[in-house]
Amino acid sequence: MKSKFNLTFFAFLTLLTFGIVSMGFTRSEKSPDVKESNSVPIYGNWKNFTKDNGLPGNKTYAVRVDGDRVLVGTHEGLAVYEDEKWTTYTTENGLSHNGVIAIDVSELTGDVWLGTMGGLTRWSGGKFEQYTQMNSGMANDLVYAVICDGKDVWVATGGGAGKLDTYTKEWEIFTEQNAPMHEPWTYSVCAGDNKVWIAAWGGGVIEYNKKTNHFRDYVDPDGNMEIDLFPDDGVVHDITTGVSYSNGILWAATYFGLSRYDGRGWKGYFDHDSGLASNFINYVRSVGDYAYLCTDKGLSITDGESWVTYKKNENDKNGKAIITNGESKTEKSFSPSISHNFILGVDVQDDVIWVATSYGLSRGERIN
Amino acid sequence: MSIKRKKLLFVPGFVLVIGLLIYFPGRKHAREHVNLMTAVEDHPLKCASCHLHMIDKGPIASWLNADYYSPLNMAISRDGNTLYVVAQDANELMVVDALKKKVIQHIPVGKYPHSVILSEDGASAFVSNQWADNVMIVDLASASVTDTIPTGNGPSGLSLSIDQKYLYVVNTFSSDLTVINLERKTEVKRLSAGNNPTGIALSPNGEKLYVSSRRAHMVPYGEPTITDVTEFNTSKNRVSATMEIDEAYLMENMAFTPEGDLALISLIRPKNLVPMVQVERGWMMNHGFGVIEQTGQQRIIQFLLDEPNSYYSDPFDILVSNDGKRAFVSSSGVNRISVVNLDSIRSLLQNYPEEELDYLAFDLSFSRHYIEKRIPTGASPKGMVISADGSRLYVANQLDDQVGVIDLNTFENLDPIDLGGPKKLTVARKGRQLFVNAGGTFQNQYSCYTCHPDYHEDGLVYNMAGKDMGRNVTNVQSLREINHTAPFKWNGKNESVYKQDGMRFSTVLTRTEAFSFPDLDALASFILTGIKNPPNLMYNPSGELTAAQLRGKEIFDRTVDNYGNEIPEKGRCVTCHPSPYYSNFSFEDVGTLSESDDTIKFDTPHLNNIFASAPYLHDGRAVTLEEIWTKYGGRDQHGVVNDMTKMQLNDLIAYLNSLGSAELEAKEQEVLKAEIKN
Repeated sequence: MKSKFNLTFFAFLTLLTFGIVSMGFTRSEKSPDVKESNSVPIYGNWKNFTKDNGLPGNKTYAVRVDGDRVLVGTHEGLAVYEDEKWTTYTTENGLSHNGVIAIDVSELTGDVWLGTMGGLTRWSGGKFEQYTQMNSGMANDLVYAVICDGKDVWVATGGGAGKLDTYTKEWEIFTEQNAPMHEPWTYSVCAGDNKVWIAAWGGGVIEYNKKTNHFRDYVDPDGNMEIDLFPDDGVVHDITTGVSYSNGILWAATYFGLSRYDGRGWKGYFDHDSGLASNFINYVRSVGDYAYLCTDKGLSITDGESWVTYKKNENDKNGKAIITNGESKTEKSFSPSISHNFILGVDVQDDVIWVATSYGLSRGERIN
Repeated sequence: MSIKRKKLLFVPGFVLVIGLLIYFPGRKHAREHVNLMTAVEDHPLKCASCHLHMIDKGPIASWLNADYYSPLNMAISRDGNTLYVVAQDANELMVVDALKKKVIQHIPVGKYPHSVILSEDGASAFVSNQWADNVMIVDLASASVTDTIPTGNGPSGLSLSIDQKYLYVVNTFSSDLTVINLERKTEVKRLSAGNNPTGIALSPNGEKLYVSSRRAHMVPYGEPTITDVTEFNTSKNRVSATMEIDEAYLMENMAFTPEGDLALISLIRPKNLVPMVQVERGWMMNHGFGVIEQTGQQRIIQFLLDEPNSYYSDPFDILVSNDGKRAFVSSSGVNRISVVNLDSIRSLLQNYPEEELDYLAFDLSFSRHYIEKRIPTGASPKGMVISADGSRLYVANQLDDQVGVIDLNTFENLDPIDLGGPKKLTVARKGRQLFVNAGGTFQNQYSCYTCHPDYHEDGLVYNMAGKDMGRNVTNVQSLREINHTAPFKWNGKNESVYKQDGMRFSTVLTRTEAFSFPDLDALASFILTGIKNPPNLMYNPSGELTAAQLRGKEIFDRTVDNYGNEIPEKGRCVTCHPSPYYSNFSFEDVGTLSESDDTIKFDTPHLNNIFASAPYLHDGRAVTLEEIWTKYGGRDQHGVVNDMTKMQLNDLIAYLNSLGSAELEAKEQEVLKAEIKN
């Protein structure tokens, strides 16, 4: 009798323990504590800027944090936010074009490089210097991306990629004539570990080895199909719109999903099998372990496993963050939320994120 | 008369007859030739004028010339006993005992040194070698070069950070600033620094570094001249601001007052938009200095050195006395140092609004309020230093190989220091002295050097109007290695430099008496034999073409376009621009004549060191080489280019940028011919 009781009691204890543990796991999945359970940064306390509170226009294309100031590329010029005040620079100040679509700041010199719809502009010590296809060796005036890589400045333009050596002042152009591109149209460029990657329209990702001066390309093994026939067999599509490299990982954005390359293999991400807001990705920027993905349906942040996606409600200023861990999804509401769901640019510094959208600029603070 | 005697008379008679037969037509021919080459009819027919003094190589040239030192800049030891003098033409740093007034050491440095500064402990000197693209560290105890550090192109002005950890080097030709980490002895940064900069000055607190440009922004003709002073934050080693100095250029040097309340810049105020024939009405060129206030409104104000009927052309160095009461400006065009009373300047700044001071920058009579004295110097005063006790001012008199010594208590000259250069004044050296001296221009307004700094060109476009105003807007051409490239001027009207600088020159440009024939001999001799191209270290440092340059050369030499069509001979680059001068010395219409120009064909310019001669085309409309074809090559009149891709155009320009001195090109041609023969 005693042993039967003991057996029953032991079984009860075992079930209770299992149950508590199981409940615990279930609880944490269904009601996440955003501060503890998710390593992907979550941003809140959103503040939005539009023409009404200082921006020269509502359409913002690019944003870059530069120390104590924030540089914003808009359709109406370069807007600079410093000491809580906005200052706008336009062609009257020396910009190549008012449509500023790419920004980078040289770590070496502090010079600001601006890719515009009408050329490249260097902003150094308050002075604007223009590089165009007419006055320099630059391939094309439509500058989709600009990055500073030591003394070199790389651009992705509508007529090819290009490299300006700021010491020798010489340009080198890369198009389908001398690189494995499908056509000269390039959208993005990034650099790291002695390599440069170019997102080439229809050409996938072009890798340039700075040591050997040789190119190689990464194209979609599925032959440019809009579906990814065989998962993780390469870049998900040849129409690449963005590349970004950090911590040994190359992120490649396309209009048909996201790819991650760790130097050995590719992994694809889509809106139907991950937390990605949309397969239509305008821009990607990776900082540390995280990729920030600007899509037509919101902003997503991922480390390749977990996801946080920000979306604004259609009919009001509020919105939410959708937190995806494997199969589980939770949401957190914000009021206000990001300014618009069509995202074109993003930058982060410390615990602050700046998001350029097609209707205003958003600033968020990390809350986890 | 004996047969023998008859014979004796016959020989000289025969010689006399032959001589007369040769002399009269020969003299007539010589007269015609000289009249053509000089554009005057009273030249004394001295053949040596052109046929001896313009020989630029070989034993005769060596015999005619001499090796001068040509001191440019200096540094002085803390005890004031030793001067370190950059001897530009001798590639030396000279160590001079200032008390005994004697050269005690000659330290070989790099090619065409520009500046020297000393480390705070006085143990080392830093020398910038402008034609070698490096800086040398000289150990002064052993008088030897211990390190050579590569820089940007054309290093000139130097400064040390206040903690002596960084050396800042102004790169004149590549228009940037090299930051050298002295612990690692390597360049760590290259920051953009205006256009053709040379001057550099560190604020007394060490926080701010200024670099002054010489060339102005390249703007379409008609827009006023603007030139940059670039400010650097020395704690971050970054560009922090750009100050635009209106209506000024050639800002050779800068200085701070010891209190740090003012920064000063030497400058020239060109009136290049006014027809040049207006020089006789005054202020074609003004010369002065700029003041950047460091406190209060931080205005940038310009003051003239000039006074009515007398100009103080080509200010080079500017220095402040140790007590901050006076500034000294060396004017190499008039062999004078102007003494500026800075307390008067401070008072004017305090009492006049900016608008009024801007207006007074045009008033020649205003300088009487602050110019205390004009001190005469030797030929072409350049860099200056002041002894630590403030009692002596030393000035490098570049073209008589002396260091002038001035007593700062009396502002009187003491005996100069003879650096020991050749005592003979060669014809070419005399020509150089004339070239840099404004004495040949109405009221000393400018010298040849003013528009041809570094014996090159100033990057400006001038209104060279003749009798019809507003015509013939002209881009200044370089004078480097123009021997063997006649005719001259864009319209090729001058068959010789002799003609170019003779009577016509005084009629149009200087508006005063023409140079005498001996002076013209000297001037032409210097221009044609004494001005070299710097080595093209920017684009062709090794003499071997890069892959892009080689592709560009193929395009330059091509006879067939991208579609397989034969390019007409006139449409090929190489037809009008054959090496070694890349000119056929002929005339062509390249479709760029403007409505305001006289109807001319253009004299084909030579292309050696073309990278250093922006802007381009006769009126400077093309800011870059690219623009010659992207903007102004529309109808394929300036070479067939419209079939080319952007990549091909880049290759062509890479090749053009690689072109260097004709002397080197000629050697390459010889090698090429020898290879073909073999």
